[in-house]
Amino acid sequence: MAVLGVPLSWYLILAAAIFCVGVYGVLSSRNLISIIMSIELMLNAVALNFVAFARFVEPGQVTGKILAIMIYVIAAAESALGLALVISIWRTENTVSVEEISELKG
Amino acid sequence: MSVPRVLFLLFASLALTAATRVVTSRRVFHAALWLIISFFGVAAIYLLLAAPFMAGVQLFLYIGGVAVLTVIAIMVTKGVMRLGTRVSNEPGTSLLMAVVLFGVMVWMIVSIPWQQLPLAPPGETDLAALGEAMVDPAGYLLPFEVVSLMLLVVMLGSLYLGKGR
Repeated sequence: MAVLGVPLSWYLILAAAIFCVGVYGVLSSRNLISIIMSIELMLNAVALNFVAFARFVEPGQVTGKILAIMIYVIAAAESALGLALVISIWRTENTVSVEEISELKG
Repeated sequence: MSVPRVLFLLFASLALTAATRVVTSRRVFHAALWLIISFFGVAAIYLLLAAPFMAGVQLFLYIGGVAVLTVIAIMVTKGVMRLGTRVSNEPGTSLLMAVVLFGVMVWMIVSIPWQQLPLAPPGETDLAALGEAMVDPAGYLLPFEVVSLMLLVVMLGSLYLGKGR
């Protein structure tokens, strides 16, 4: 082949790397807003996976993109609801640290 | 190295570096700005994947919506600005888990013989097919309506939560 394209596995490895960075962020963050940002990173990596699959393994190139759009909607909803919760918690508890929010702990 | 590969490595390193800075920045506000750069990198990758519409959606929804919303939320919660993201419980264990997960994923990815070339060239009517599939009862009409309903519920819920007591 004349022009070497980017193979599918490169995209998948990039998405896996971004996803794992997000996993690390979720596990190690102490602050609710950082956790939400890490979840956004993870969702974005999954959407990247779907678009790459739509390009490479699907003749119609439609299903993967629709799944990616669904992920966008879910990510937007997640961040809106999560940040509303954070602001609500901030108002009542005056903290966003996951270690200090322990009201539901038995 | 061909041009697409060089571009891919460039944008991939941009997205990945920015993502790393998101989880390692000491200030939450800097992390939010790095998050925007990471989304830009992924949008550029979408252009390489011959999906300009998805790149536009990424810019509008992720950067224009999610990231800006995060920045605003950081700004209105006074005092979070100077709060650190780090000083976590068990950063070493978290790092270990993430690295192990990444290793397993890479091992799975490289052990599968993937399609080497794109199956179809990007069509001219790409966007029209996408829109038709989304409102086709035999296609994705039901998920489309379900996420619409979910967005409505989330909107009402966020309003209720943000309204205050």
